[in-house]
Amino acid sequence: MSHKRTCSILGIFDSAQLLMEAIPKIKEKATGPLQAYTPYPIHGIDKALGLRKSPIGGMVLVMGTIGAIAALGLELWTSGWDYPQMTAGKPYFSWEAFIPVTFELTVLFATFTAGLGMLMLLNRLPLFRHPMLRSKSLPLITRDKFALAVESNAKSLNVEMVTALLRGAGAKDVEVIEESPFDNRGAPRFFLTAFATIVLSCVVAGYLTYWAIKLFPVLQPMVHMLDQPRLDPQRENHFFKDGFGMRMPVLDTVRRGSIPYTVQSEDNAEVLANPMPRTKVVLQLGRQAFNNYCSVCHGILGDGSPTLTAAYSAKPASLLSQNIVEIGDGKIYHVIMMGKNAMPSYMADLSETERWAVVHYVRVLQRALNAKDEDVMK
Amino acid sequence: MKSETTLGSFEGALQSLKPPPVLLGHVTIGDLDDQVLTPVGSRPPLAWFVAFGVTSTAMLLGLACMAYTIATGIGVWGNNIPVAWAFDIINFVFWVGIGHAGTLISAILLLFRARWRNAISRFSEAMTIFAVLCATMFPLIHVGRPWLDFWLFPYPNQRGIWPNFRSPLIWDVFAVNTYFLVSLLFWYLGLVPDLASLRDRTVGKIRKFVYSVLCMGWRGAATHWQHFERAYLIIAGLATGLVLSVHSVVSFDFAVSLVPGWHMTIFPPYFVTGAIFAGFAMVVMALVVVRTTMHLEHLITEYHLEVMNKVLLTCSCLMGYAYLVEGFTAWYSMNPYIHHTFMQYITGTYWWAGWLTILCNILIPQLHWFRWFRRNYAGMIFIAVAVTVGMWFERFVIIVSSLHHDFMPSAWHIYKPTMIDFGILIGSFGLFFTLVLLFARVLPVIATTEMKIVLPGSQPHQKGGSRES
Repeated sequence: MSHKRTCSILGIFDSAQLLMEAIPKIKEKATGPLQAYTPYPIHGIDKALGLRKSPIGGMVLVMGTIGAIAALGLELWTSGWDYPQMTAGKPYFSWEAFIPVTFELTVLFATFTAGLGMLMLLNRLPLFRHPMLRSKSLPLITRDKFALAVESNAKSLNVEMVTALLRGAGAKDVEVIEESPFDNRGAPRFFLTAFATIVLSCVVAGYLTYWAIKLFPVLQPMVHMLDQPRLDPQRENHFFKDGFGMRMPVLDTVRRGSIPYTVQSEDNAEVLANPMPRTKVVLQLGRQAFNNYCSVCHGILGDGSPTLTAAYSAKPASLLSQNIVEIGDGKIYHVIMMGKNAMPSYMADLSETERWAVVHYVRVLQRALNAKDEDVMK
Repeated sequence: MKSETTLGSFEGALQSLKPPPVLLGHVTIGDLDDQVLTPVGSRPPLAWFVAFGVTSTAMLLGLACMAYTIATGIGVWGNNIPVAWAFDIINFVFWVGIGHAGTLISAILLLFRARWRNAISRFSEAMTIFAVLCATMFPLIHVGRPWLDFWLFPYPNQRGIWPNFRSPLIWDVFAVNTYFLVSLLFWYLGLVPDLASLRDRTVGKIRKFVYSVLCMGWRGAATHWQHFERAYLIIAGLATGLVLSVHSVVSFDFAVSLVPGWHMTIFPPYFVTGAIFAGFAMVVMALVVVRTTMHLEHLITEYHLEVMNKVLLTCSCLMGYAYLVEGFTAWYSMNPYIHHTFMQYITGTYWWAGWLTILCNILIPQLHWFRWFRRNYAGMIFIAVAVTVGMWFERFVIIVSSLHHDFMPSAWHIYKPTMIDFGILIGSFGLFFTLVLLFARVLPVIATTEMKIVLPGSQPHQKGGSRES
């Protein structure tokens, strides 16, 4: 078996006082860097060992500022730019309302920088292959003993000399810790494994989350909310005997605001007069109703060239044809009410006002598409 | 001659001003580990199993009620418009409040260098985490479709919408989540050196492996301690601001709305004080149990309990002031709605809840002016239980009494909780105490590392004389 290199030599002390007294003595003569291992923090040991000030305060300041900017940026961008919402009459960029979340995220970033930055970046933990963890003295150190370690740098340690030095400084016990073949491959391999594990867990977690979000809401009982006992229009429903969801009006009842229509034939309808005035508002209403209901078959200009042709074999009438120009308003109204040939009744869809407005609009179309010279504005 | 006498009396006065010792008897650093860490992992006594049986049964009852709620819908609760917030938000505010004592003890008292906190910090930090866990449960099920809870977070989605950052409810999401994560981190950091001690004491293979992984290979190097102490102090400073912000944000849920009885500027300090008040009561109760069952009388001394009870008394007086301000606002604002709501608190349908709150939170804790109550188990537990009950009913009064009489008399509604409401409330207590019991068996209930620092002779003598501890 080959000779093993010595990593460090530990001197065990009984109290913090003895440890602190020994440090200057060893520091003077030791050939390697010093490290102390203690069960709890000792005041003043950082000065005695000549440690540099911990940079954690600066790290926290930087990351806390980043957290604040990130939070405020997220809030301003989402609430003021990407999805601008007006809440309680406040402006989009109402920074006052964004303070609580900004504060919380600042604290979150800062504390996790302090905690994880301290453990992982500064102390380089987790590390399970450090030679110190093999030491027989470690259980004593985490309990109530104090160790001063002379560690090896490039040069190998003179074991006898350092042992004598530590004993001379008051060490009760001395332990020599030797290098193990596992020590050196510790860190990089650990970080590689950790990185691979994190990537793999992210992929698995992402995949599972994707499916969970996709599938979970459509399972029982999550869909209970969709499954409501209600009547949907145009849908079958077995609540009523006839299997329809929609109901017919009760016999011999009149809807509020409507007058029963008693005209029996188109010829009798000639007597009906258009009660609506020919104003801009009425014509706009007529155009809207016409475009919504009539233009599908009669065409947007009323010329019988519909937007929807192929579905029906029936040829819709051109409203611009001479016989329709000549018939009275009442007859057009009657056709809207009762339907004609293939045209169904639009009684239920248009209100009385709308029907008469449509009649006016049809007249406008007839005149506009066969305009005479005097109609053109001078 | 005269000056000598003055000096003598001055020294005498100085002696009497010195704080009492934070532990009794002579305890060496090694003894401390033996006393605190030995129960960890040993076979628990019969009483522990009995207690665990009771708490886990309560927890399962709560789980069953929750499963029934989720499967059926929140119509199984008593909430209905206008009392849309009832037991769930009462319990949420109650549990978040319980947590605040832990952070106060671990962070604020650390900054004030109150050395007595070291013995009880670990336990109260653990209680913080468990209480916040219990609290978060309630809003998550109150939304009705808990599987869509992720909508609370701002994440890019196909709908192209974002949460409303001007809403106190979204502030709450951030505040409570940050609070939970920071408390967990703070607790874990404090545990790392203790876990290393446990690792080196434990014989069982599996337990040793678990502790080894959890302590991340902590080896107590001086360089590590230096960063550790600095980080711990910084986190304590940040957590101090955080703990004050969290219950303030919770109170914004109420104060920012226009409901009479909620829309008051006193709410943030009033809620923070109430939170600390309820939390200290819970810590006192739990500490008495831990102290006697785990034989830690000389580490958690009567002095600790007395100081805690003094904090309770202070908070109680502050709460009394807050209640008076509420009444004053109702009268001085000359707003008939606020006036009506305040009168509802004390003379309405729920008048008994209002008076129970005043009795339990203001009158009963005044007994702590007497030393006997501050030092006697029966006395302090009676008061702590009263405060816990009182603080729960305070939230009941704030939420239910304010909501049930809306602006429109036609919408007025008498709220009655259902059995499911009670089941979930009992379940949350079950969950909390189950976690506390498990914690007491697998992790050190006293922060041994922090205690070692305050033991006599633990620190080297300073220049210019000995520094006694």
